[in-house]
Amino acid sequence: MRRVPIGERPDWRERAKAAGFTFHTFDGAPYWDESHAYAFTLREIEEDIEGPAGELHALCRAFAAQAVEDERILTSLRIPETAWDAVRDSWRRGDPGLYGRLDFSYGGAGPAKLLEYNADTPTALYETAVFQWLWLEESLQDRRLKPGSDQFNAVHERLIERLRSIASTGLTGFAAEAEAPEDLGTAAYLQDCAVQAGCATLLLDLSQIGLRPDGAFCGPDGQPLATLFKLYPWEWAFADPFGAAVAASPTRFLEPPWKMVLSNKGLLAHLWAREPGHPNLLPCFFEDDPACRALGDSYVRKPLLSREGANVEILSDGLRVAGETGPYGAEGFVRQALAALPDFDGRRPLVGAWMVGDEASGLCIRESAGPITGNDALFVPHWIEPE
Amino acid sequence: MAERDLPRLGADRKVATKRSQTVSTALVASAGLAAFGLGSLTFVDWSGNVLVYRDATACAAEGIRSAEDCRSAYDIARSAYPSSAPHYQWEVACESHHGNFHCQTDPAAAPTVGRYVPRMAGYVLGRRASDGVTPEPVYEHGGGHGDGHAGYCTGSGGRISTGYGGRASSGMLKSARSSSSAKFGGFGGSGKSFSSFGS
Repeated sequence: MRRVPIGERPDWRERAKAAGFTFHTFDGAPYWDESHAYAFTLREIEEDIEGPAGELHALCRAFAAQAVEDERILTSLRIPETAWDAVRDSWRRGDPGLYGRLDFSYGGAGPAKLLEYNADTPTALYETAVFQWLWLEESLQDRRLKPGSDQFNAVHERLIERLRSIASTGLTGFAAEAEAPEDLGTAAYLQDCAVQAGCATLLLDLSQIGLRPDGAFCGPDGQPLATLFKLYPWEWAFADPFGAAVAASPTRFLEPPWKMVLSNKGLLAHLWAREPGHPNLLPCFFEDDPACRALGDSYVRKPLLSREGANVEILSDGLRVAGETGPYGAEGFVRQALAALPDFDGRRPLVGAWMVGDEASGLCIRESAGPITGNDALFVPHWIEPE
Repeated sequence: MAERDLPRLGADRKVATKRSQTVSTALVASAGLAAFGLGSLTFVDWSGNVLVYRDATACAAEGIRSAEDCRSAYDIARSAYPSSAPHYQWEVACESHHGNFHCQTDPAAAPTVGRYVPRMAGYVLGRRASDGVTPEPVYEHGGGHGDGHAGYCTGSGGRISTGYGGRASSGMLKSARSSSSAKFGGFGGSGKSFSSFGS
């Protein structure tokens, strides 16, 4: 794994515009940055990322099968009792998931260490699947990259395949917060994939989701949605007025409610308890578990529910050496052993492995200046060097 | 599926790779939405001015939308037809909604949803790409046993009145069924203090 100052395509902003990628810059600050990129060997991709991601996802599914049937586990994850039926029923029915992203600390030496699983509402999907792919293809054309260079990125193809295989008859809605361009872009991109998979679709703002007397969720015209993709975390959906209607509804959700047991930092403590010493897992414990003393006073403290690094703190010898503020933490914390993000020229990449269905399907890198990857982290492309 | 607005790259690739063979976006690029961007799409206007045509040739002939837009919108509607057509248990139920001789059987239908579907009579698309209307199939909306043309309907229950007898083109899309029995606004409240919900 190398960080290479490869130089940007002079016209990439025009190319972004032509591809519909408008959120490459947020509030004047860059988000997409191709002045440099990360190079991997095929072995690093296949043995260190793709293989472990698939294996960890399988461990997560095995954990989910146990968790949905065990009230102690659901309680430990602070999943409210009002959600238990929906979570359990969605798993027992075999409701399919669409996608997720496993985030790793990895720098090319030693095994990748799982930091968290964004199993419910991951974004950065379009950037990965489409614009990063275009970057690779055009860099090959421009001879910026050697012939035979490749990328771990079958995300687009696999999403269409997955949507085709799980599509039900009827309308599929894609709902997101319209005021957040990145969120709406993710939902619109998935709608686009669904259209290509032959689905009848509808793009919605969250406020346009309706609930009919027959229990089905619907679009603004009252027509029932067979499937509803929502880029909105389940813990908030269940706290909302419509949350109580999810369990009995004929509408199927993407992601399904059982993803709640994975999209929770408590997962990391349960996985470590099930597979202690697993090379891709870090020691992790609930903060109220006496076993967390094993970590001493150097660890990372993470709220059970948080996004984009918010409320994460790094402690070293009991001193808070880094931390991000945010609105999370009411549900409690886990403590995880520190696997510092690698340092490349003073920049710290976080490796995200995309799952589509049950298959590891691609990679994205978010790069930050500090040790905690926040929402201001840059999206930096990657490639696989020819052998 | 149309993919003209993204470079046709990688299409001839034969060797095994770790990346997608081709990447195309149907709505975003081909329907002309690229100019507005993924993050600023408008939502479907449920009572808007729309275009309805029997096929892409009729659409192109009128010239309101480009021939390429007409074709890609038709492809999108056609591929959505099997999953979005309303299904009926009985032929008589289908014909009472869509008129005599306007129904056929769907051999792939699950028994629980019914075997009878209306034939695709045409398709609807927006007057402009920026209208944000997802192209979809339309069906004859025949009142009773009528020979009289009573406009079109969509698989999601929208009604389209063209006002030109049977001659397709400009129409008004209206939701046919009342939404007054459905409640809205029950999702989103818990996230109001957060700017973005993705991770």
